[in-house]
Amino acid sequence: MGNASLRPIMALAMIGLPIGGIALAADAPTGGIPGTRAFVVNGLYLSGGGDPKSCSVQSPGTYDVYLSMLPPAERAELSDPGKRGRLQKHMWDHFGFRRLSLWPGDFGGRAQVAKLPPDVKLHQKPTPEQVRAIAALNGFPEGRGSLAYQDQTLAYSSCTNPYDFPELAKGYVPYDGKISYGINLDGKAGAHDFTGLNGEKGVDNQLWRAVGCYKQSQEMNDPAVQEKVMLSARAPMLIEVSGIDDPRNDSDVTVRVLTGADSLVRDGSGKPLARASFTLDPDPSLVNVTHGHIVNGELTTDPVDLRLVFREQIIDNTRIVRKAVIKATFKPDGNLDGGLFGYTTLASYYDMIEHMTEDGADNVGISCAAVRLAIDRFADGFPDPRTGQFTAISSAMKFHAVPAFVIDRPTQTASSDINRAEGAR
Amino acid sequence: MKWRVSQMVLAAVGAAGLSILSSSALPAKPGPAIPQSSVRRLTEAQYRNVIADVFGSGVEVVGRFEPDLRVDGLTAVGSSAVSITPGGLEQYDAIARHIVAQVFAPENRAKLVGCAPGANDPNGATCAADFIKRVGLRLFRRPLSAGEVRADVAQALSSTGKLGNFDDGLGAVLVGMLTSPTFLFRIDTPARGGSADAIDAYSKATRLSFLLWNTAPDDTLLAAAASGALDRPEGLQAQVDRMIASPRFNDGVRAFFDDFLQLSDIDHLSKDALIYPAFSTSVAAATREQTLRTITDLLIDHRGDYRDLFTTRRFAMTRALGPIYDVPVSKPGWSIYEFPAGDPRTGLLTQVSLLALHAHPGRTSPTLRGKAIRETLLCQKIPSPPANVSFAVVQDVNNPTLKTTRQRLEAHLDDEDCASCHKATDGIGLSLEQFDGAGQFRRTEHDIPIDVTGKFDKVPFDGVAHLGQLFHDSPKISECLVSTVWRYANARNAQTEDQPAIGDLNRGFAANGYRFVDLVRTIALDPGFYAMSRTPSTPAMTTMRTTISTRKTS
Repeated sequence: MGNASLRPIMALAMIGLPIGGIALAADAPTGGIPGTRAFVVNGLYLSGGGDPKSCSVQSPGTYDVYLSMLPPAERAELSDPGKRGRLQKHMWDHFGFRRLSLWPGDFGGRAQVAKLPPDVKLHQKPTPEQVRAIAALNGFPEGRGSLAYQDQTLAYSSCTNPYDFPELAKGYVPYDGKISYGINLDGKAGAHDFTGLNGEKGVDNQLWRAVGCYKQSQEMNDPAVQEKVMLSARAPMLIEVSGIDDPRNDSDVTVRVLTGADSLVRDGSGKPLARASFTLDPDPSLVNVTHGHIVNGELTTDPVDLRLVFREQIIDNTRIVRKAVIKATFKPDGNLDGGLFGYTTLASYYDMIEHMTEDGADNVGISCAAVRLAIDRFADGFPDPRTGQFTAISSAMKFHAVPAFVIDRPTQTASSDINRAEGAR
Repeated sequence: MKWRVSQMVLAAVGAAGLSILSSSALPAKPGPAIPQSSVRRLTEAQYRNVIADVFGSGVEVVGRFEPDLRVDGLTAVGSSAVSITPGGLEQYDAIARHIVAQVFAPENRAKLVGCAPGANDPNGATCAADFIKRVGLRLFRRPLSAGEVRADVAQALSSTGKLGNFDDGLGAVLVGMLTSPTFLFRIDTPARGGSADAIDAYSKATRLSFLLWNTAPDDTLLAAAASGALDRPEGLQAQVDRMIASPRFNDGVRAFFDDFLQLSDIDHLSKDALIYPAFSTSVAAATREQTLRTITDLLIDHRGDYRDLFTTRRFAMTRALGPIYDVPVSKPGWSIYEFPAGDPRTGLLTQVSLLALHAHPGRTSPTLRGKAIRETLLCQKIPSPPANVSFAVVQDVNNPTLKTTRQRLEAHLDDEDCASCHKATDGIGLSLEQFDGAGQFRRTEHDIPIDVTGKFDKVPFDGVAHLGQLFHDSPKISECLVSTVWRYANARNAQTEDQPAIGDLNRGFAANGYRFVDLVRTIALDPGFYAMSRTPSTPAMTTMRTTISTRKTS
């Protein structure tokens, strides 16, 4: 904790306040602030697997489910990948899916321009009341439909309202293996828990049980794919460890899990650019702080509720992971590799699925209805005190991170660190 | 637009030829410290600056220029030793046509041409004359004579008849002006009467403007030349002070240091992306900008001591450079980043521009770094290596026993033929070994701590920060700068008879606290800067006439 006292000083320096008459002219030295190491995560991948006998049949996506519902002749005709457009129209007509663009523009797919109430302004996100009014005005089923495609469309589909289309969950396959990546989050070894890759009992990773047999999940669980793909590069996750006295063993370090406002870019060899500077997202709720310890070069954090951002293509999702724990190893090459474990709230996870929109989910082979029903079924954390239903699901995510620098926004850091300094008095 | 430009070019060439002839035909006057007239070709940067000044920065200059020639380290000196090849003239012609097309484009025409044939000017002769006089003054850096204007207007009207369009006709004249030697070359004109060894006021304005702003004179300076103010000491001083106070003085200082440090070579710099993945072409460009901004911050914004460049911890910084310097960069855009005391980044020698420029694509080179520093910053000559030298030991970066560059170089020095030169270069170069071939800091090489000790002028040092301090305190550093600025300003190497004047500059530089701005101001106010011998037939003039003659017949 040798550097702990430096943080408030640096924060005050950023807002230009003199401290004890000392001129704070110099910036950080080469290598950054001593005792502080920060990293940018170039991908956070849902992880599990480990049992080769599982997922012998993959969970079908919406198109496959719908095709299975058709008479043989029609199924044969629409199975041709070249007739995907006809299949889509067929399915949308059958289920009454709707997609309306809120203002003129090309939103792809089957969007029609919506009729708008007079109080809806062009290019301004409608309020929930306005959304209901637009849905009613355009003949959506009562109480149905929600904003989609970065809030530029109003949709009604199996992704916006998955419980309306339980037939699209037909053929769903859960991961039924005994082994999974993850950690024991609750300290118990229940009947439905997994055995970890290292033999640990009671591993909690029911999210993988729910979605592990989708093709997309399996692809992203492949280290070779993870190495090549950068996820959420527009809003990268940052991990900052400060107060490090000994990078191999330290009983108390401060860990911040943050979201960057700058994009992650590749270096000349195609890998994530290391040692770049990232300004924090202005949303102060995305500054997550906890403590941790380092043993033999492995960092383990204390459980903390995290708010993370996943921003990829049309997805802009805030993910909430409760009682989250990071276990990661400082690598000799300067990188940080490890996992993020905790209870992902069902609402925030499904929000990401819904953001994919019906077209996106269909194209990557996911059934929104099946995913929704599966996470409800396998949820195992944070029961609602009123209904008793679980609101979160245990999960395990792997990540790879390269060294980076965190740039606090002056007001953000100044206030938080000043408060901390005041609290310490 | 379709033009037959050759006649226009030849007409302009003819006019310039007369000017040269007249200057060289005057009787010789003895005087050992009075230089010959020089004819300097505009550098690419100067050409671009002039076009931006005359037509606005929105007018693009697109094309490949004749390469600038570096003579004894300076393209400024090389500018008086180059001509234009026939192929190069074609390039200038293509560049000129593209510029002219933009000037006469509908969106620019009203602003840049400003007139057209009308009821009071049915064939456009008045408009053409106004345009030619206005633009000609800026491009040729002197007023056009009545005869030149008459000839050009006649040419514009003639071309209009042939091409069927006034703009095409006037545009053909402008192409001719832009490809004229009078524009492409800075040609001194002797003063008429008065000071017999001086150049005339417009030539003074040109020398002054290119020295201080790296571009042609502005309207104010041309007006001072026209009024005769530039020929009076107080008038000259007023203009020099005005120009130094202008933000455009930055351009002039940047141009000097870009030339002095040979930073344009960064445009062609590339590194092995697998070895140095953080280094890219955009990073390379930023390193050049960083060095120039660091210099102007110290020398202009803070009127600092030139020698402090070797000890400064204030580096211009931008986000693109953060990864290669391994530092957080908090501010968007450019800002000054101050490394704390004791940091390995101290002084110009530790900037990535110089470190990466004088290294190999995949490894460092103490020899290249040492040679560059000796030649550039200390004005010392290091001979090139013999053709038959073996670099096998030095290049074997994975040698299992010779793990560090220092060890490999020492093995290489077993060859006595190599040792003499390497002794001069490698001591300085090895002090920079804590910076890899891309300029990134490292403490070890193959897990061996890097030894950065050495000697400079028999004084031992440990590390580049210490070496920087020795440079700071060495008169060789400031003397090299003074002689280089002098050569840059005069576009020639100093002769024995120039040494007294350079010695005066050195003494003044030291007395004024090594302020670079004061050094430039002293040169700009020195009558010697505007002197011109009337000795006939210099090699440069002969070359010029030969070139022009070649073009006439091609």
